[in-house]
Amino acid sequence: MALTSARLLTRTVHEKWICAHSLTLRPLVCINKAAFYGEYRRPGQAQDRTPPWKKIRFSFAKGVQGIRKHFGLLKDEAMERWVGPQGRPLIEHMLEQTRVQWEFRGPESLEQWLVSTDREIGGRSEAYLKLGRNDSACMLYGTLCSTPPRDGETCYSGYCTLRSRQLLSSFDRKKNIDWSSFNTLYIRLRGDGRPWMINIAAETYFSHQKDDLYNYFLYTRGGPYWQDVKIPFSKFFLSSRGRIQDNQHPLWLDKVSTIGFTLGDKADGPFQLEIDFIAVCNDRAHTEEFAYEMYKRNPEV
Amino acid sequence: WILAWMGLEINTMAIIPLMAQQHHPRATEATTKYFLTQATAAAMILFASTMNAWTMGDWNINQISHPLATTTVTLALALKIGLAPMHFWLPEVLQGLNLTTGLVLSTWQKLAPFALILQISQNTNPALLTTLGVMSALVGGWGGLNQTQLRKLLAYSSIAHLGWMIIILQFMPALTLLNLTIYITMTSTMFLSLKIMTSTKINSLALAWPKTPTLTTLIMLSLLSLGGLPPLTGFMPKWLILQELAKQDLPITATIMAMSALLSLFFYLR
Repeated sequence: MALTSARLLTRTVHEKWICAHSLTLRPLVCINKAAFYGEYRRPGQAQDRTPPWKKIRFSFAKGVQGIRKHFGLLKDEAMERWVGPQGRPLIEHMLEQTRVQWEFRGPESLEQWLVSTDREIGGRSEAYLKLGRNDSACMLYGTLCSTPPRDGETCYSGYCTLRSRQLLSSFDRKKNIDWSSFNTLYIRLRGDGRPWMINIAAETYFSHQKDDLYNYFLYTRGGPYWQDVKIPFSKFFLSSRGRIQDNQHPLWLDKVSTIGFTLGDKADGPFQLEIDFIAVCNDRAHTEEFAYEMYKRNPEV
Repeated sequence: WILAWMGLEINTMAIIPLMAQQHHPRATEATTKYFLTQATAAAMILFASTMNAWTMGDWNINQISHPLATTTVTLALALKIGLAPMHFWLPEVLQGLNLTTGLVLSTWQKLAPFALILQISQNTNPALLTTLGVMSALVGGWGGLNQTQLRKLLAYSSIAHLGWMIIILQFMPALTLLNLTIYITMTSTMFLSLKIMTSTKINSLALAWPKTPTLTTLIMLSLLSLGGLPPLTGFMPKWLILQELAKQDLPITATIMAMSALLSLFFYLR
């Protein structure tokens, strides 16, 4: 009896030892390849393991067309260097105080924009982009649905976004926009009273900055009248993957990549936003450099 | 060579915290790019000096004689100072820094590599030096066209001036030293003037005339001096270099250098 109890006790201790060590013998770091290499995996679905060589769609005609296009762009870039910065005379750059960056005046202007919704992750929101009346504005419209997709992972849903495409120069090199002469964003739009978020993406270097955006709120008025929105760039705050960062810094305007508008106000139903143009201007009366305090984490006391 | 390499590494490590003190991602990016390029160059220097010691049995700086070692150390020092075609890091790094750190990077950080360049000048490959010099002058002139950011403009100006310094190194190192001294003086003037005006773009210079006419005049004179316009000081080294090149029967090289100086003068005058 005593021997059986001792054996039981030893077994119990031994099992506990194995159990405890099996917890520590698990890998201490789970290497998530997606986090390191930025591969997107749609929630609820397995990662795409197709090897890169199987994704190639070779076409000789397209190749020749691409070579002609890119060498043409390269030649244009070399020629416009003799004219001035960005192909415009320097006097124009020195004297300009406003610049219309995007305006919607024809079907080709819509090709510079990307519309996406939570449909990509299995949601049920819809969004469409079309030209308004007389080809004078663009209309982003659709329906928001905040029902999350039933994939076992996603908890929240219900967003739509309109984002400008990354500008590309010859050979698909990224081209950035230089807004350093300006300090205010000027948008003429007509909304339906819903709150939007303006997102500006700047050129980044490190991989952990790839989801960095500079955001500010856009409250639209419903109604037949157009709304002129002027937002100084000093008001934009930094966020990463949708989360506001503690370490804030101002947006540097010499390498802006894209601008976007996001709707995610958790209100199901139709929405509509018309945009006439998106411009930048230099408001001489606005001298603020950055609107937020740059907190020092763990300050010395 | 070991002590020289250690000095270069300490020099790099010392400036890194100064560059990153701004706590902005662009400053961190500039610091990272600077560190990577300088570390690569330092590794190449160590490799070349070790190779020379292995083959020739000599660690003296001015006794480097193995052709491959000499070429490697020349390219490494060119990468250190930002000579074309190893210049791509310089405009981006300067753009990410504030004006004071940019001043240190453009002036003080050139002294140590140049000290080594002057010591190995007798053993370097003449064709390589000529190629580096001509390419730097051309790239500095071409790249500076249409720059609206003053720091990038000064970076391309730096590349062009380094080209002038390198091309005369094989014939008269004293002229290289003279050019370096005058370049440091003029660049320091420019950076300090821009710092007083807190301007980093061409637009803000255009508006400076009514606010600070004296300083604006000084900046204009400094820019013309950088461009090598007589009778300003910056004309002297260019003139002497062209004279020396002509004496060495290199009229084509001298012509190309003079043409590239015109390119630089064009964007200075803007």
